[in-house]
Amino acid sequence: MNVLIIRPIINLLLLFYLWLGNETIIAVTVVTIIFRLAMTPLMLNQQKSARKQQSLRPKMEELQNKYKDDREKLSQEQMKLYKEAGFNPLGGCLPLLIQFPIMIGVYQAIIRVLAATPLQLLTLSNDIYSWVPAFSLLIPLKSRFLWLDLALRDPYYVLPVLVFATSWLQQKLLTPPAQDEQSAAMNKQMMIMMPLMTAYFSATFASGLAVYFFITNVVGILQYYLFRSHYVFDEPEPAPTKKAQSKAQSKGKSSAKSKKHKPQAVRQRASK
Amino acid sequence: MRRWLIPLGLGMILLFVTGCAGRPRQESWPGLIVVDDILYAANWDRVSALDAVTGEVYWSYPFEANRRTNHFYATPVYTEEASEHGLLLVAGFTDQAVHALALSADPTQPPELVWLFTRAGGQYVGSGVVAEGLFLIGNGDGRVYALDLEDGAEVWVFRTQDRVWATPLVIEDTVYISSLDHTLYAVDLQTGVERWRVDTQGALASAPAVVDGDLWIGDFARTLYQIDVATQSIVWTYQAQNWLWGTPVMGGSTLYFYDVGGNVYALDLQTRDMLWDEPVNLDEATLRGRPMLDAEAGILLVPAHESGKIYALDAETGMEIDWGVIEEDPGKLPSDLVRAHNMVYAMPIEAETRIRALDGASGVPVWVYPPVEDVE
Repeated sequence: MNVLIIRPIINLLLLFYLWLGNETIIAVTVVTIIFRLAMTPLMLNQQKSARKQQSLRPKMEELQNKYKDDREKLSQEQMKLYKEAGFNPLGGCLPLLIQFPIMIGVYQAIIRVLAATPLQLLTLSNDIYSWVPAFSLLIPLKSRFLWLDLALRDPYYVLPVLVFATSWLQQKLLTPPAQDEQSAAMNKQMMIMMPLMTAYFSATFASGLAVYFFITNVVGILQYYLFRSHYVFDEPEPAPTKKAQSKAQSKGKSSAKSKKHKPQAVRQRASK
Repeated sequence: MRRWLIPLGLGMILLFVTGCAGRPRQESWPGLIVVDDILYAANWDRVSALDAVTGEVYWSYPFEANRRTNHFYATPVYTEEASEHGLLLVAGFTDQAVHALALSADPTQPPELVWLFTRAGGQYVGSGVVAEGLFLIGNGDGRVYALDLEDGAEVWVFRTQDRVWATPLVIEDTVYISSLDHTLYAVDLQTGVERWRVDTQGALASAPAVVDGDLWIGDFARTLYQIDVATQSIVWTYQAQNWLWGTPVMGGSTLYFYDVGGNVYALDLQTRDMLWDEPVNLDEATLRGRPMLDAEAGILLVPAHESGKIYALDAETGMEIDWGVIEEDPGKLPSDLVRAHNMVYAMPIEAETRIRALDGASGVPVWVYPPVEDVE
């Protein structure tokens, strides 16, 4: 990870620092955008995969009902369904598995290149390519930007607030609509937990890292609007509440039309 | 409860992957001095006084129970000025303060805090120096502070454009300040007014060495400079293979220095030739602490940060000499070595033992702190 991912990113940061007027914040911004854009095809694939999975969901639930007592048959039928639909169940995970080390690599590279302490700077000396002597002339990087020392945390918590807001918006835009009450609750938790966590990191660690989170979120939001067709999921019925379920049960099967559009989970319960 | 499991799980994964969980305590590089029979060590989060011969601990400062909030990089400074039994000056990295401790008549008794200077805006890394009733120390805010030894009052401040991590060097009435802003400044000791400056290619993180009135200093641009004080200019340079961080040492007519990449150089100042055919490369060791020359034995001791090993080289040939023992838990050695009482003191980090007193001739441990039984 260090030699293959972190070290090249550190040197890429230094290269942009050299080219772009010795401004750390610009170098961090450019490198973050480059990596975020480079991962766009993977993210679009992931979204495509999620959409396909969502479109197969009614059929999957039918199969689950039909073969609830025969797991082996259920598995065979599921695979058959995937094959017919041209859906790879790992298609959603693989892009994530590739993206994750790169994201962590960018994160680690930013922390290391800013070298807040002497020991970190000593470690950085091993990470810089010795065959590019010009990089050694740049050390230590200029870490001042407006009120920020990018190597230290933001004293006024402006960046953590921005990171929270953009994380929340991104999470809201990218989260697929919930199909049932449990998913809806989980989405709700994630919508708070993930932005809170990134905001906590931004408030605790070097503000250069907060810049990375902020830029990543902003690019993610822009990507959503640029490639909206990939992200927009089929509009589902709103997740049913317990109240709505009991209401539906009391109404029984009076309206065939409304029954047709009810989410599968509700239909299962109603049929019991 | 179940609905919290996935977000919590994701959070835990993120914490571990980003290295934010289970982080060890923040390390610093420690420093020590030996005054008579007492060893004063600024180590991690405290300053301790130990018997230099036996390793017995007399006291530690700060005195409060919860001391895990501070870190010391700067080596303590001792002076007999301004206090009857001596003053110990220590500067914190995290608390960004200079602590002046008046030592007791009985050195085994805890000292008394006489003043605290907290006006600096950054962290202290380099040690200070005492001259003409002043304590001079550089700070991470890019300034060098001259403090009155009596009460810690600010006498003058000199500002550079980046952090000052090196100990100021005082020669007669001039203070030489190495700054990470790629400049060596010469400043008036009494007033703090700049007299002249020399710009270098790379950042300067160490104090210069003085040889026959000239200054010798290395920078992160891998260049060793000879600076003529009389003409206030660079008169000679040598290109090394990696960053130069530690202050060079002089032995006879040879200047010994090394780069962080593990290359040790011996430069004959009369001929300007390298004494050894090639720089000695110590297995890619990262070197920072100052080399120590035992002129009598003709041995150069080199503390290697990454491997935690102390290399002994023949000062004439550069050949590695069998010295010391292989430590089970060597840790890392970013600090300078100190010689006193025919012993060599090393201060490893990321190791159970924080001070090692080694026999000066053989390198065999005489005592370690904390004692091994305490560690176990």
